[in-house]
Amino acid sequence: MNKYLQVFKISFAQEFAYRVNFIMWRVRNVLQIFLVFFLWSTVFSDPNDIIFGYNRDKILTYVFGILIMKSLVLSSKVVDVSGEISRGDLTNYLLKPVNYFKYWLTRDLSSKALNLGFAVFEFLLLYLVLKPSLYFQTDIIQLAGFSIITLLAIFLFFVLLFIVSFVPFWAPELGWGAQFLIIVVATEFLSGGLFPLDILPSGIQGFLYLTPFPYLIFFPLQVFLGKVTGLALIKGILISISWSLILFYSMKRLWYKGLLVYRAEGR
Amino acid sequence: MKEIQKHSVLRLQASDFSYVIKRLSYYFRIWLMMSRNSFITYLQSRVGASIFLFAKTIRFFFFLGFLFYILKNTGNLAGYSLNQALFFFVTFNVVDVFAQFLFREVYRFRPLIISGGFDLVLVKPINALFRSLMGGADLYDLITLPPLIFGVFYLGSQLNPSLLDTFYYILLLINGLLIAAAFHIAVISLGIITLEIDNSIMIYRDILSLGRLPIDIYKEPLRGVLTYLIPVGIMISFPAKALMGLLTTTGIFLSFILGGVLIFSSLRFWNYALKQYTSASS
Repeated sequence: MNKYLQVFKISFAQEFAYRVNFIMWRVRNVLQIFLVFFLWSTVFSDPNDIIFGYNRDKILTYVFGILIMKSLVLSSKVVDVSGEISRGDLTNYLLKPVNYFKYWLTRDLSSKALNLGFAVFEFLLLYLVLKPSLYFQTDIIQLAGFSIITLLAIFLFFVLLFIVSFVPFWAPELGWGAQFLIIVVATEFLSGGLFPLDILPSGIQGFLYLTPFPYLIFFPLQVFLGKVTGLALIKGILISISWSLILFYSMKRLWYKGLLVYRAEGR
Repeated sequence: MKEIQKHSVLRLQASDFSYVIKRLSYYFRIWLMMSRNSFITYLQSRVGASIFLFAKTIRFFFFLGFLFYILKNTGNLAGYSLNQALFFFVTFNVVDVFAQFLFREVYRFRPLIISGGFDLVLVKPINALFRSLMGGADLYDLITLPPLIFGVFYLGSQLNPSLLDTFYYILLLINGLLIAAAFHIAVISLGIITLEIDNSIMIYRDILSLGRLPIDIYKEPLRGVLTYLIPVGIMISFPAKALMGLLTTTGIFLSFILGGVLIFSSLRFWNYALKQYTSASS
């Protein structure tokens, strides 16, 4: 346990070694929020309008929630795994007495802690600058549900990212393409990172709910906004758990199969 | 005597002109050669290239579909109709993709500076800025350009522009690309001084992406900043507005002045940055 605590500390300190790099990354996150915020602000220029089942307060809370959820769920160090496999650097870890998944989970948590700290600061700054009217959830059950589903989302993304990062075991040159397609493009749109998915036609929504993506950002924020309650909330948590188990099992299987074909190229 | 002087001036002008043409053709041939080499490296992994192109296409259509769906329900966005809003979006894509096609080498500039490999660029008998800016055209962006231009043509024709408006649109689009060039020059200049390239170019991309929608959706002072300080508005919204006949002659005139000022300033900045280059690690 102590060694992972050390990994956490080193990983945290590493982020401060490239301070400008990290601050620039956070600036990028804020810039990305601007477009979404002003787009929805324009669509809901009349505060009394209710469009797609949202009023102005709830949609702007959703936009601000994206900032926090992205820091919690989508900020991940596992993106580096793909490069490590294709360069053969994975060998270094296989020779050490560390569990590769626990190592990256620890690094992920360290990165999330730092990103969350900055996201809260940015949230406050943007709140003061843009002065939006936000909706704050006060119901304890909803807040508990939101916490559980967010933890599941963090795990789900961790596992999903690992699965995509295993592509270089079989095709070293395809790692970045697969990450771009699944992690950048699919996650950005299908997880609700740009807009709430329930504005889409019901057919498309039905299809999306069959995938794990909505449970990364959209569903947790729906719970926070109080749009998903009671049985629907429990059902959502159970689906998220199911996806986590299915993907975790797939990840393990792919890891062992990948190790069998791993050739440590580049080392 | 006067007659001789007049003849020599004319000869000088003619030789100047032919010199410029020769240099342009020289650099064009070099650009073709560098682009060909760059394309070969892109084609090394055809499956990877296909996945990347597929992902880019999906992202484009996702956002297009999202805009379409919102505007279908709301009727307009900041007073712009569905076709107009989509036209802003495709214009953004044309400027963005064209700039990436031409200036992709900027994204590979940092390793050259960190390793000191930039020395090898400096000693070659071509302009170092030209090599650093346009040394590696992007094949993926070249492939996505024709459908985008078709999209501009199709959506633009739905807006029934006059011939003059179309002319202004093309001129302002070229001006937008000049401003994009100025930004890229500033980014690599900054890279020489600070060694930070990757993030500054991505921040430029993020700021530019605020122009995916008409800048009228942003409130002051952000709108002012996006129009004049970081002229995303002039690069993207102004050309689109000119085609819709919504831009005044003064606005068009100001755009060209700003484009010229930015290119001039970025070139001065590049010259300054070159003097700061320490050739470390080489």
